Amino acid sequence: MAHARIGGVRIKGIASAVPAAKRSISDEIPAFGEQASKIAKMTGVYSRRVAPAGTCASDLCYAAAESLMRNLNWAPDSVEGLFLVTQYPDYMFPASACSLQQRLGLSKECAAFDLNLGCSGYVYGLWVASSLLAASGLKRVLLLAGDTATKTASPQDSSTAMLFGDAGSATALEPGSAADVMYFDLGTDGTGLKHLYLPAGGFRTPHTQETCVRRLREDGNTRSDEDLHMNGSEIFAFTLREVPKSLRAALAFSGWTPGDVDAFVPHQANQFMLEHLAKRTGLKEKMVLVLGEFGNTSSASIPLAMTARLREPLQAQPMKLLLSGFGIGLSWATVALMAGPMVMPELVEVP
Amino acid sequence: MSSNEFLECLDELLELPPGTVAFGDALEQHGWSSVAVIGFLALADEKFGEAPSPALLAKCRTADDLAALFPGRIAQ
Repeated sequence: MAHARIGGVRIKGIASAVPAAKRSISDEIPAFGEQASKIAKMTGVYSRRVAPAGTCASDLCYAAAESLMRNLNWAPDSVEGLFLVTQYPDYMFPASACSLQQRLGLSKECAAFDLNLGCSGYVYGLWVASSLLAASGLKRVLLLAGDTATKTASPQDSSTAMLFGDAGSATALEPGSAADVMYFDLGTDGTGLKHLYLPAGGFRTPHTQETCVRRLREDGNTRSDEDLHMNGSEIFAFTLREVPKSLRAALAFSGWTPGDVDAFVPHQANQFMLEHLAKRTGLKEKMVLVLGEFGNTSSASIPLAMTARLREPLQAQPMKLLLSGFGIGLSWATVALMAGPMVMPELVEVP
Repeated sequence: MSSNEFLECLDELLELPPGTVAFGDALEQHGWSSVAVIGFLALADEKFGEAPSPALLAKCRTADDLAALFPGRIAQ
Protein backbone atom coordinates (compact mmCIF):
# COMPACT_ATOMS: atom_id res chain seq x y z
CA MET A 1 0.00 0.00 0.00
CA ALA A 2 1.39 3.41 -0.97
CA HIS A 3 1.64 6.08 1.69
CA ALA A 4 2.64 9.66 0.98
CA ARG A 5 3.10 12.66 3.26
CA ILE A 6 3.05 15.93 1.36
CA GLY A 7 3.74 19.22 3.08
CA GLY A 8 3.65 22.87 2.10
CA VAL A 9 0.62 22.78 -0.21
CA ARG A 10 -2.62 24.62 0.51
CA ILE A 11 -6.10 24.31 -0.99
CA LYS A 12 -7.13 27.87 -1.82
CA GLY A 13 -10.62 27.10 -3.04
CA ILE A 14 -13.10 24.56 -4.41
CA ALA A 15 -15.99 25.07 -6.84
CA SER A 16 -18.46 22.63 -8.32
CA ALA A 17 -20.86 22.69 -11.26
CA VAL A 18 -23.82 20.53 -12.23
CA PRO A 19 -26.19 20.46 -15.19
CA ALA A 20 -29.42 22.35 -14.54
CA ALA A 21 -31.55 19.43 -15.77
CA LYS A 22 -32.84 17.20 -12.95
CA ARG A 23 -34.10 13.66 -13.13
CA SER A 24 -36.02 12.33 -10.14
CA ILE A 25 -37.07 8.88 -8.97
CA SER A 26 -40.57 9.43 -10.38
CA ASP A 27 -39.01 9.64 -13.85
CA GLU A 28 -37.67 6.09 -13.41
CA ILE A 29 -40.96 4.38 -12.61
CA PRO A 30 -42.01 3.84 -16.27
CA ALA A 31 -38.84 1.81 -16.89
CA PHE A 32 -38.38 0.03 -13.57
CA GLY A 33 -41.80 0.05 -11.84
CA GLU A 34 -41.82 -0.81 -8.13
CA GLN A 35 -38.16 -1.81 -8.30
CA ALA A 36 -37.25 1.88 -8.67
CA SER A 37 -38.31 2.69 -5.09
CA LYS A 38 -36.52 -0.36 -3.67
CA ILE A 39 -33.31 0.55 -5.46
CA ALA A 40 -33.55 4.19 -4.41
CA LYS A 41 -34.04 3.13 -0.80
CA MET A 42 -30.72 1.27 -0.97
CA THR A 43 -28.67 3.68 -3.08
CA GLY A 44 -30.12 6.82 -1.48
CA VAL A 45 -30.42 8.43 -4.91
CA TYR A 46 -33.73 10.26 -5.36
CA SER A 47 -32.66 12.99 -7.77
CA ARG A 48 -29.73 13.44 -10.16
CA ARG A 49 -28.41 16.06 -12.54
CA VAL A 50 -28.10 14.89 -16.13
CA ALA A 51 -26.01 16.63 -18.77
CA PRO A 52 -27.84 17.17 -22.08
CA ALA A 53 -26.42 15.82 -25.33
CA GLY A 54 -23.44 17.91 -26.32
CA THR A 55 -22.46 18.85 -22.76
CA CYS A 56 -19.21 17.17 -21.74
CA ALA A 57 -17.47 16.70 -18.41
CA SER A 58 -15.00 19.37 -19.53
CA ASP A 59 -17.88 21.88 -19.87
CA LEU A 60 -18.91 21.29 -16.26
CA CYS A 61 -15.29 21.54 -15.10
CA TYR A 62 -14.87 24.72 -17.17
CA ALA A 63 -17.87 26.33 -15.42
CA ALA A 64 -16.48 25.38 -12.00
CA ALA A 65 -12.97 26.60 -12.85
CA GLU A 66 -14.20 29.89 -14.30
CA SER A 67 -16.23 30.60 -11.15
CA LEU A 68 -13.35 29.63 -8.86
CA MET A 69 -10.72 31.73 -10.67
CA ARG A 70 -13.06 34.73 -10.67
CA ASN A 71 -13.76 34.38 -6.94
CA LEU A 72 -10.06 33.92 -6.15
CA ASN A 73 -9.07 36.83 -8.38
CA TRP A 74 -6.60 34.55 -10.10
CA ALA A 75 -5.31 35.96 -13.38
CA PRO A 76 -5.48 33.19 -16.01
CA ASP A 77 -1.81 33.60 -16.86
CA SER A 78 -0.84 32.91 -13.23
CA VAL A 79 -1.88 29.25 -13.45
CA GLU A 80 1.07 26.96 -14.21
CA GLY A 81 -0.57 23.56 -13.98
CA LEU A 82 -3.96 22.21 -15.11
CA PHE A 83 -4.75 18.58 -14.28
CA LEU A 84 -8.07 17.07 -15.30
CA VAL A 85 -9.40 13.86 -13.77
CA THR A 86 -12.05 12.36 -16.03
CA GLN A 87 -13.18 9.19 -17.75
CA TYR A 88 -15.40 11.14 -20.14
CA PRO A 89 -12.99 13.17 -22.31
CA ASP A 90 -14.05 15.36 -25.23
CA TYR A 91 -12.09 13.19 -27.67
CA MET A 92 -10.21 9.88 -27.47
CA PHE A 93 -7.20 12.16 -27.74
CA PRO A 94 -5.75 14.68 -27.10
CA ALA A 95 -6.24 15.13 -23.36
CA SER A 96 -9.21 17.39 -22.60
CA ALA A 97 -6.91 19.39 -20.29
CA CYS A 98 -5.33 20.82 -23.47
CA SER A 99 -8.71 22.11 -24.63
CA LEU A 100 -9.42 23.56 -21.17
CA GLN A 101 -6.06 25.35 -21.08
CA GLN A 102 -7.16 27.26 -24.15
CA ARG A 103 -10.80 27.78 -23.09
CA LEU A 104 -9.80 29.13 -19.66
CA GLY A 105 -7.34 31.51 -21.30
CA LEU A 106 -4.36 30.03 -19.45
CA SER A 107 -0.88 30.85 -20.60
CA LYS A 108 1.12 28.57 -22.87
CA GLU A 109 3.55 28.28 -19.94
CA CYS A 110 1.09 25.86 -18.33
CA ALA A 111 1.52 22.09 -17.92
CA ALA A 112 -1.75 20.30 -18.73
CA PHE A 113 -2.73 16.64 -18.81
CA ASP A 114 -5.54 14.21 -18.01
CA LEU A 115 -5.74 11.47 -15.39
CA ASN A 116 -8.01 8.57 -16.34
CA LEU A 117 -9.58 7.61 -13.03
CA GLY A 118 -13.13 7.71 -11.70
CA CYS A 119 -14.37 7.19 -8.16
CA SER A 120 -10.90 7.37 -6.58
CA GLY A 121 -9.81 10.10 -9.00
CA TYR A 122 -10.29 13.22 -6.91
CA VAL A 123 -7.97 12.03 -4.14
CA TYR A 124 -5.48 10.68 -6.71
CA GLY A 125 -5.64 14.06 -8.46
CA LEU A 126 -5.03 15.85 -5.18
CA TRP A 127 -2.00 13.64 -4.61
CA VAL A 128 -0.60 14.28 -8.10
CA ALA A 129 -1.27 18.03 -8.02
CA SER A 130 0.12 18.54 -4.52
CA SER A 131 3.16 16.33 -5.25
CA LEU A 132 3.98 18.37 -8.33
CA LEU A 133 3.47 21.64 -6.49
CA ALA A 134 5.71 20.52 -3.65
CA ALA A 135 8.41 19.06 -5.88
CA SER A 136 8.54 21.26 -8.96
CA GLY A 137 8.09 24.75 -7.63
CA LEU A 138 4.88 25.46 -9.56
CA LYS A 139 3.11 28.52 -8.15
CA ARG A 140 -0.55 27.86 -8.92
CA VAL A 141 -2.35 24.72 -10.00
CA LEU A 142 -5.94 23.89 -10.93
CA LEU A 143 -7.16 20.36 -10.32
CA LEU A 144 -10.34 19.69 -12.28
CA ALA A 145 -12.41 16.53 -11.71
CA GLY A 146 -15.60 15.69 -13.53
CA ASP A 147 -17.56 12.95 -15.25
CA THR A 148 -20.75 12.46 -17.22
CA ALA A 149 -21.42 8.80 -16.38
CA THR A 150 -25.10 9.13 -17.32
CA LYS A 151 -23.96 9.03 -20.95
CA THR A 152 -22.81 5.41 -20.65
CA ALA A 153 -25.51 4.01 -18.34
CA SER A 154 -28.02 1.86 -20.20
CA PRO A 155 -31.54 3.14 -19.44
CA GLN A 156 -32.56 -0.55 -19.10
CA ASP A 157 -29.89 -1.47 -16.54
CA SER A 158 -31.20 -1.11 -12.99
CA SER A 159 -27.68 -1.35 -11.54
CA THR A 160 -26.52 1.88 -13.20
CA ALA A 161 -29.44 3.80 -14.74
CA MET A 162 -30.74 5.26 -11.49
CA LEU A 163 -27.41 5.68 -9.73
CA PHE A 164 -25.22 8.07 -11.67
CA GLY A 165 -25.34 11.84 -12.00
CA ASP A 166 -23.11 14.32 -13.83
CA ALA A 167 -20.88 17.01 -12.29
CA GLY A 168 -17.62 18.88 -12.60
CA SER A 169 -15.34 20.53 -10.06
CA ALA A 170 -12.28 22.74 -9.71
CA THR A 171 -9.80 22.87 -6.85
CA ALA A 172 -7.18 25.61 -6.60
CA LEU A 173 -3.82 24.82 -5.00
CA GLU A 174 -0.87 26.98 -4.05
CA PRO A 175 2.29 26.54 -2.01
CA GLY A 176 1.41 26.77 1.69
CA SER A 177 3.17 26.80 5.02
CA ALA A 178 4.97 23.97 6.80
CA ALA A 179 1.77 23.38 8.76
CA ASP A 180 -0.13 22.35 5.65
CA VAL A 181 0.35 18.58 5.52
CA MET A 182 -1.64 15.94 3.64
CA TYR A 183 -1.44 12.23 4.54
CA PHE A 184 -2.34 9.93 1.65
CA ASP A 185 -3.03 6.23 1.46
CA LEU A 186 -3.39 4.89 -2.11
CA GLY A 187 -3.97 1.45 -3.61
CA THR A 188 -4.99 -0.55 -6.68
CA ASP A 189 -6.35 -4.04 -7.36
CA GLY A 190 -6.57 -4.57 -11.12
CA THR A 191 -7.84 -8.14 -10.65
CA GLY A 192 -11.28 -6.60 -10.17
CA LEU A 193 -11.14 -4.49 -13.34
CA LYS A 194 -14.10 -6.21 -15.01
CA HIS A 195 -16.45 -5.66 -12.08
CA LEU A 196 -16.79 -2.00 -13.12
CA TYR A 197 -15.86 -1.08 -16.69
CA LEU A 198 -16.88 -0.12 -20.17
CA PRO A 199 -16.16 -3.32 -22.12
CA ALA A 200 -15.98 -2.00 -25.70
CA GLY A 201 -15.13 1.13 -27.61
CA GLY A 202 -11.45 1.29 -26.70
CA PHE A 203 -8.64 -0.36 -28.59
CA ARG A 204 -8.82 -3.74 -26.76
CA THR A 205 -12.36 -4.29 -28.04
CA PRO A 206 -13.04 -1.67 -30.71
CA HIS A 207 -16.50 -0.41 -31.59
CA THR A 208 -18.43 -2.57 -34.06
CA GLN A 209 -22.10 -2.78 -35.00
CA GLU A 210 -22.38 -5.66 -32.52
CA THR A 211 -20.83 -3.91 -29.53
CA CYS A 212 -23.54 -1.26 -29.43
CA VAL A 213 -26.50 -3.67 -29.50
CA ARG A 214 -28.29 -3.88 -26.14
CA ARG A 215 -29.04 -7.43 -24.96
CA LEU A 216 -30.55 -9.05 -21.88
CA ARG A 217 -27.68 -10.20 -19.65
CA GLU A 218 -27.37 -12.95 -17.04
CA ASP A 219 -27.91 -10.44 -14.24
CA GLY A 220 -31.34 -9.57 -15.68
CA ASN A 221 -30.27 -6.16 -17.01
CA THR A 222 -30.21 -5.04 -20.61
CA ARG A 223 -27.10 -3.31 -21.87
CA SER A 224 -24.60 -3.24 -24.72
CA ASP A 225 -20.84 -3.68 -24.50
CA GLU A 226 -20.59 0.09 -24.94
CA ASP A 227 -22.65 0.67 -21.80
CA LEU A 228 -21.15 0.83 -18.32
CA HIS A 229 -21.12 -2.57 -16.62
CA MET A 230 -21.15 -2.73 -12.83
CA ASN A 231 -21.29 -5.82 -10.64
CA GLY A 232 -22.67 -4.15 -7.53
CA SER A 233 -22.06 -7.05 -5.13
CA GLU A 234 -18.40 -7.35 -6.18
CA ILE A 235 -17.91 -3.60 -5.75
CA PHE A 236 -19.52 -3.73 -2.33
CA ALA A 237 -17.31 -6.67 -1.29
CA PHE A 238 -14.24 -4.80 -2.56
CA THR A 239 -15.25 -1.73 -0.57
CA LEU A 240 -15.70 -3.76 2.62
CA ARG A 241 -12.33 -5.40 2.03
CA GLU A 242 -10.17 -2.38 1.21
CA VAL A 243 -11.72 0.92 2.28
CA PRO A 244 -11.84 0.47 6.08
CA LYS A 245 -8.13 -0.45 5.93
CA SER A 246 -7.40 2.65 3.86
CA LEU A 247 -9.33 4.93 6.23
CA ARG A 248 -7.53 3.49 9.25
CA ALA A 249 -4.17 3.77 7.50
CA ALA A 250 -4.65 7.46 6.64
CA LEU A 251 -5.86 8.21 10.17
CA ALA A 252 -2.92 6.37 11.73
CA PHE A 253 -0.50 8.10 9.37
CA SER A 254 -1.88 11.53 10.35
CA GLY A 255 -2.04 10.69 14.05
CA TRP A 256 -5.77 11.39 14.20
CA THR A 257 -8.55 9.28 15.66
CA PRO A 258 -12.06 9.17 14.13
CA GLY A 259 -13.08 11.57 16.89
CA ASP A 260 -10.57 14.17 15.70
CA VAL A 261 -12.11 14.33 12.22
CA ASP A 262 -14.45 17.27 11.59
CA ALA A 263 -15.92 15.83 8.39
CA PHE A 264 -15.60 12.52 6.56
CA VAL A 265 -16.32 13.00 2.86
CA PRO A 266 -16.41 9.66 1.03
CA HIS A 267 -16.92 9.15 -2.68
CA GLN A 268 -20.71 9.22 -2.98
CA ALA A 269 -21.11 5.62 -4.12
CA ASN A 270 -24.23 4.20 -2.52
CA GLN A 271 -25.88 5.23 0.74
CA PHE A 272 -26.36 1.74 2.16
CA MET A 273 -22.72 0.93 1.50
CA LEU A 274 -21.47 4.21 2.97
CA GLU A 275 -23.58 3.96 6.10
CA HIS A 276 -22.30 0.46 6.74
CA LEU A 277 -18.73 1.58 6.11
CA ALA A 278 -19.01 4.63 8.36
CA LYS A 279 -20.61 2.63 11.17
CA ARG A 280 -17.81 0.08 10.98
CA THR A 281 -15.08 2.72 11.12
CA GLY A 282 -16.62 4.98 13.76
CA LEU A 283 -17.16 7.83 11.30
CA LYS A 284 -20.96 7.76 10.94
CA GLU A 285 -21.54 11.05 12.78
CA LYS A 286 -18.92 12.80 10.65
CA MET A 287 -20.04 11.55 7.24
CA VAL A 288 -21.21 13.97 4.53
CA LEU A 289 -23.85 12.60 2.11
CA VAL A 290 -25.35 14.28 -0.96
CA LEU A 291 -26.43 11.18 -2.89
CA GLY A 292 -30.08 12.04 -2.48
CA GLU A 293 -29.73 15.22 -4.53
CA PHE A 294 -26.97 14.43 -7.01
CA GLY A 295 -26.44 10.66 -7.22
CA ASN A 296 -23.03 9.12 -7.77
CA THR A 297 -21.03 11.70 -9.71
CA SER A 298 -17.83 9.65 -9.95
CA SER A 299 -14.64 11.78 -9.74
CA ALA A 300 -16.61 14.95 -8.87
CA SER A 301 -18.51 13.48 -5.95
CA ILE A 302 -16.12 14.50 -3.15
CA PRO A 303 -15.68 18.19 -4.12
CA LEU A 304 -19.40 18.39 -4.96
CA ALA A 305 -20.28 17.07 -1.50
CA MET A 306 -17.94 19.67 0.02
CA THR A 307 -19.56 22.48 -1.98
CA ALA A 308 -23.07 21.32 -1.11
CA ARG A 309 -22.56 20.59 2.60
CA LEU A 310 -19.36 22.20 3.90
CA ARG A 311 -19.34 25.52 2.09
CA GLU A 312 -20.13 27.68 5.12
CA PRO A 313 -17.71 26.13 7.62
CA LEU A 314 -14.89 25.80 5.09
CA GLN A 315 -15.18 29.47 4.14
CA ALA A 316 -14.84 30.44 7.78
CA GLN A 317 -12.42 28.10 9.50
CA PRO A 318 -9.90 25.27 9.19
CA MET A 319 -11.34 21.78 9.33
CA LYS A 320 -9.80 18.35 9.72
CA LEU A 321 -11.07 16.44 6.68
CA LEU A 322 -10.91 12.79 5.76
CA LEU A 323 -11.58 12.28 2.03
CA SER A 324 -11.80 8.82 0.49
CA GLY A 325 -12.44 7.72 -3.09
CA PHE A 326 -12.83 4.09 -4.20
CA GLY A 327 -14.23 2.13 -7.11
CA ILE A 328 -13.35 1.68 -10.75
CA GLY A 329 -9.91 0.20 -11.33
CA LEU A 330 -10.34 -1.22 -8.81
CA SER A 331 -8.66 1.65 -7.08
CA TRP A 332 -8.81 3.56 -3.81
CA ALA A 333 -7.25 6.61 -2.21
CA THR A 334 -7.76 8.33 1.15
CA VAL A 335 -6.31 11.60 2.41
CA ALA A 336 -6.35 13.17 5.86
CA LEU A 337 -5.76 16.91 5.64
CA MET A 338 -6.45 20.22 7.30
CA ALA A 339 -8.28 22.59 4.91
CA GLY A 340 -9.88 26.03 5.16
CA PRO A 341 -10.62 28.80 5.38
CA MET A 342 -10.92 28.79 1.63
CA VAL A 343 -12.88 30.34 -1.22
CA MET A 344 -15.98 28.28 -2.04
CA PRO A 345 -18.29 29.82 -4.63
CA GLU A 346 -21.95 28.81 -4.78
CA LEU A 347 -22.78 25.69 -6.77
CA VAL A 348 -22.84 26.57 -10.49
CA GLU A 349 -25.74 25.33 -12.63
CA VAL A 350 -24.92 24.81 -16.30
CA PRO A 351 -27.89 25.13 -18.71
CA MET B 1 -25.12 -17.20 16.25
CA SER B 2 -27.98 -19.71 16.53
CA SER B 3 -29.75 -20.99 13.44
CA ASN B 4 -32.95 -19.24 14.58
CA GLU B 5 -31.10 -15.93 14.89
CA PHE B 6 -29.68 -16.46 11.42
CA LEU B 7 -33.16 -17.03 9.97
CA GLU B 8 -34.49 -13.98 11.82
CA CYS B 9 -31.71 -11.92 10.24
CA LEU B 10 -32.83 -13.16 6.82
CA ASP B 11 -36.45 -12.25 7.63
CA GLU B 12 -35.36 -8.75 8.57
CA LEU B 13 -33.14 -8.40 5.50
CA LEU B 14 -35.99 -9.45 3.21
CA GLU B 15 -38.49 -7.28 5.14
CA LEU B 16 -40.63 -10.32 6.01
CA PRO B 17 -42.50 -11.08 9.27
CA PRO B 18 -40.36 -12.98 11.83
CA GLY B 19 -40.55 -16.75 11.31
CA THR B 20 -41.10 -16.56 7.55
CA VAL B 21 -37.83 -17.91 6.15
CA ALA B 22 -37.07 -21.55 6.98
CA PHE B 23 -34.21 -23.86 6.12
CA GLY B 24 -34.98 -25.67 2.89
CA ASP B 25 -36.88 -22.70 1.45
CA ALA B 26 -35.81 -21.45 -1.96
CA LEU B 27 -34.53 -17.90 -1.55
CA GLU B 28 -36.30 -16.91 -4.75
CA GLN B 29 -39.73 -17.52 -3.17
CA HIS B 30 -38.93 -14.85 -0.56
CA GLY B 31 -37.96 -12.12 -3.02
CA TRP B 32 -34.19 -12.68 -3.04
CA SER B 33 -32.73 -10.08 -5.38
CA SER B 34 -29.55 -8.14 -6.18
CA VAL B 35 -30.55 -5.67 -3.45
CA ALA B 36 -30.85 -8.56 -0.95
CA VAL B 37 -27.41 -9.84 -1.99
CA ILE B 38 -25.85 -6.48 -1.08
CA GLY B 39 -27.76 -6.49 2.20
CA PHE B 40 -26.52 -10.01 2.96
CA LEU B 41 -22.91 -8.96 2.36
CA ALA B 42 -23.35 -6.18 4.93
CA LEU B 43 -25.09 -8.55 7.33
CA ALA B 44 -22.25 -11.08 7.06
CA ASP B 45 -19.65 -8.35 7.53
CA GLU B 46 -21.44 -7.11 10.65
CA LYS B 47 -22.24 -10.47 12.24
CA PHE B 48 -19.22 -12.57 11.20
CA GLY B 49 -16.60 -9.90 10.50
CA GLU B 50 -16.21 -10.95 6.88
CA ALA B 51 -18.26 -10.86 3.69
CA PRO B 52 -18.44 -14.01 1.55
CA SER B 53 -17.25 -13.98 -2.04
CA PRO B 54 -20.06 -12.57 -4.24
CA ALA B 55 -19.32 -15.35 -6.75
CA LEU B 56 -20.06 -18.00 -4.08
CA LEU B 57 -23.07 -16.05 -2.86
CA ALA B 58 -24.49 -15.98 -6.39
CA LYS B 59 -24.60 -19.80 -6.35
CA CYS B 60 -26.74 -19.95 -3.19
CA ARG B 61 -30.31 -21.09 -3.79
CA THR B 62 -31.58 -21.78 -0.23
CA ALA B 63 -31.16 -20.47 3.31
CA ASP B 64 -29.10 -23.62 3.97
CA ASP B 65 -26.67 -22.60 1.21
CA LEU B 66 -26.26 -19.20 2.85
CA ALA B 67 -25.62 -20.74 6.27
CA ALA B 68 -23.05 -23.10 4.73
CA LEU B 69 -20.93 -20.09 3.78
CA PHE B 70 -20.07 -19.80 7.50
CA PRO B 71 -19.11 -23.31 8.59
CA GLY B 72 -19.08 -23.84 12.34
CA ARG B 73 -20.39 -20.35 13.06
CA ILE B 74 -24.12 -20.99 13.01
CA ALA B 75 -25.16 -23.33 15.84
CA GLN B 76 -27.88 -25.88 15.07
